[in-house]
Amino acid sequence: MTMNVMLNAEETIASGSPIQPIVRLRGIAKHFPGVVANQDVDFDLLPGEIHALLGENGAGKSTLMNILTGIYRQNEGDVIVDGQLVTFASPLDAIAAGIGMVHQHFKLVKAFTVAENIHLGWNETPRRISRELLEARTAEIAASLNLAVKPAARISDLSTGEQQRVEILRVLSRKARVLILDEPTAVLTPAEAAELFKALRQFAARGNAVIFISHKLDEVLEISDRVTVLRGGRKVTTRPTHECDKRMLARLMVGQEVVLSNMRERRPDAKPVSAEPVLSLRDVSAHDDLGNMSLKRISLDLRAGEILGIAGVAGNGQKELSQVLTGIRPLVSGRLQVCGRDLSARGAEEFAAFGVGHIPEDRLQSGLAPALSITDNAVIREYGKAPLSRGWLYRPSAAAALARSIAEAASVTVPDFAMPVRNLSGGNQQRLVARREMRIASNVLIAAYPCRGLDVGAINAMMRYFTELRDAGVGVLFVSEELDELFKLSDRIAVMFHGEIMGVVDTSDVDIETIGLMMGGQRRSAADLAGEN
Amino acid sequence: MAIRIQRVPSENLGGGVAARLIAILLALLVAAVIFSLNGADLGALGAHVLKSTFGSRFGLMDIGLIMTPLILTGLAVMIAMKVGAWNIGAEGQFCAGAFAATAVALFVPGPTVVIVPLMFVAGALGGMVWILIPTLARAYADVSELITTLLLNFVGVLLIYYVATGPWLDPSGMSFAATKRLPYDIPSFWGDVHWGLPIAVLLTVLVAAVLNYTRWGYEVRIAGSNPSAARYAAIPFRRHLIVVMLLSGAIAGLAGMFEAVGTAHRLQGGISNNFGYIGIMVAVLARGSAIGVLAGALLMAVILKSGIALQTQGVNISTVLALTGLILFFTAIGDELSHYRIVRSKPA
Ligand SMILES: Nc1ncnc2c1ncn2[C@@H]1O[C@H](COP(=O)(O)OP(=O)(O)OP(=O)(O)O)[C@@H](O)[C@H]1O
Ligand SMILES: [Mg+2]
Repeated sequence: MTMNVMLNAEETIASGSPIQPIVRLRGIAKHFPGVVANQDVDFDLLPGEIHALLGENGAGKSTLMNILTGIYRQNEGDVIVDGQLVTFASPLDAIAAGIGMVHQHFKLVKAFTVAENIHLGWNETPRRISRELLEARTAEIAASLNLAVKPAARISDLSTGEQQRVEILRVLSRKARVLILDEPTAVLTPAEAAELFKALRQFAARGNAVIFISHKLDEVLEISDRVTVLRGGRKVTTRPTHECDKRMLARLMVGQEVVLSNMRERRPDAKPVSAEPVLSLRDVSAHDDLGNMSLKRISLDLRAGEILGIAGVAGNGQKELSQVLTGIRPLVSGRLQVCGRDLSARGAEEFAAFGVGHIPEDRLQSGLAPALSITDNAVIREYGKAPLSRGWLYRPSAAAALARSIAEAASVTVPDFAMPVRNLSGGNQQRLVARREMRIASNVLIAAYPCRGLDVGAINAMMRYFTELRDAGVGVLFVSEELDELFKLSDRIAVMFHGEIMGVVDTSDVDIETIGLMMGGQRRSAADLAGEN
Repeated sequence: MAIRIQRVPSENLGGGVAARLIAILLALLVAAVIFSLNGADLGALGAHVLKSTFGSRFGLMDIGLIMTPLILTGLAVMIAMKVGAWNIGAEGQFCAGAFAATAVALFVPGPTVVIVPLMFVAGALGGMVWILIPTLARAYADVSELITTLLLNFVGVLLIYYVATGPWLDPSGMSFAATKRLPYDIPSFWGDVHWGLPIAVLLTVLVAAVLNYTRWGYEVRIAGSNPSAARYAAIPFRRHLIVVMLLSGAIAGLAGMFEAVGTAHRLQGGISNNFGYIGIMVAVLARGSAIGVLAGALLMAVILKSGIALQTQGVNISTVLALTGLILFFTAIGDELSHYRIVRSKPA
């Protein structure tokens, strides 16, 4: 195969240097029906480096890594490992060559224990196995790699951060030299992320390499040595991280300047904030899935035409709160009203009928049916209304039309609406869900981590949507762990800690430090802060 | 250049069909080799099989008769899969349907126009009763329907043997394990082929239409694909699970009714003839498509009928069974292989 690949200056230097890249991709192209996911991509990975891969949603990052790990086969181009041209027929081949990946959506078997998951599909798993043996081996591997896991625990009982550690251990236990992480921190708490970074640095320091996909530019600047940016499936550039800053990266990704503006300003013709709350909680308590009390006597008001931010480290009851507010999780005690109507004992159907939209935090698990078509998924909120349904009849053609308009509004290009929704890029799934929910949110929108997995441009667009809803008189509850997002968008911020509200404060009266203290468990009220200022 | 095999995430339709055709040819080839090693006259055997399946009126009629229960049991398994349940118990529900319809035929006197529809209802209800406990256990206690439906198969088959050799045994003494000829019949439209066949086809088309063109069908598809998405969208997963599983049982029961009343004209031991289990194959081959169920049932009917034809030529019954197994085996491999493609690469 002869292929002329233009090398830019930097790569010439890299290839001319005595260090041989562990992985080298040359002129990679991958086409799906109707989509060019990758085209002419060159990429190299040096031993000892943490290499960040950046790009907008759908830019082709996951696809490129799927090619490197043998999940997809490229249409053109070469994969070169240690100077040798290779073809991986499956991820097993890739891992045998020392290349392992932790996916955007975890692939663990939920009903199995940590030890069982580690040993699944591994040719070094002993033939005669016992539970004790597997657990002992797991503990040993974990200790040698400095990753703390509980070998006997079931995956379904673990936090997201712990599950991710199991995924990483699974890869590293197979003696990987290249670890690929696809948006690893999207679901981690800051503490968990800090721990992950420590482990990654140690791993790279041993002469291994990491490919790190993320939309969080701060993190990329903090952890990586070099950055490669993809746009529309093509490589834009590769640079040393110390030459980059946030604005420049954002510009490279999107192709234009991105300004995250203050969005608290209202349009002159915006509807005023209502005096009466559209949604109110009084002394609401609820259990989590394991039966622990995860919401403790919460009282909260959301007014029409305001954005109420919910701050807090993930796992302090935010998920349960958003489920309670959308009728998915029953209350143990307390009262919940929407538009003055008591919905305490009602289900999701009534909430949706009252104009409550819901962007769930785990889109693939509860917001979508991944194996069904994009159309089926786009209409899940409106399939029962005209024109999609007439009486008991369902009209696929009307559904397809609605799906098209939702995809268009969400700026997601879809080549084929009959293809399973899981084929969309992670960020595009998120945009689709968000647009779908905003259509039904005539009174309230509950948005749980809506910006997770979105690129900077899309975050900006998402936040604009929220301001439009706000100005149209919808009450928006915005759950996030990114403080700068919360400060840019929210009129008021409520902080959650251990299932309780530490206080609700006006954004204009508060600074990031105070919110940080509240996230750590200090109580403040709006009155306290107004007094201080 | 090395040749490697790579798995692709989604198969293409053409590839799937081609893989199946190749599988069938391969199975026939292997069978031919074995037969000729045994000194059989391949030409004569092949001609006989062709003649007794597609080549003659009686062959076609038999295929129609065998297809009828297979379409229904395949449909029953397929529709349960749509809601995320594995109905392994079509065999038992088939028996229960046959039993209930026979009871009506033997003990309820009346004009044909009343009794035939009544048998229809009884067959469906019988199948439904047979799947009731597995359904409730799955819906309310999350007990795997896989095991409960399977276990009830044995009970169903034995129930038929019991009544056919005991209380309902033909009083004339003409047979050892069957009731007397039933006094009612399903009308035929072509030779022996009764209206069960068009009704089964119609039912399949109806199920496909309901799944794709009704709100209920949409809800079932969502619920079966991801129960928590259903909960999120306020779709009552449990209710749909119960209704669809009962429906699945009813369809399998109908298969038993048509077989006993329309084809065998009596209830006899072994009447289910593995139709319930073969229905699982039909559903798996069909991959959730109704047209697929019709095609799968046709394929299995041809295989079974060829088997019978070979048996009459003195080919030993176990050889015939091995051949049917072989075809299925190759088809399954072909299905799996259509997810792969061959890539050429320079050696690493
Ligand atoms: N199996 C597939 N079939 C069809 N199209 C696909 C498939 N996988 C990916 N695509 C398309 O290829 C493009 C690139 O997707 P990819 O998942 O690589 O994006 P990404 O850069 O990882 O985006 P994100 O940041 O949103 O995760 C998208 O348009 C996506 O819809
Ligand atoms: Mg991705």
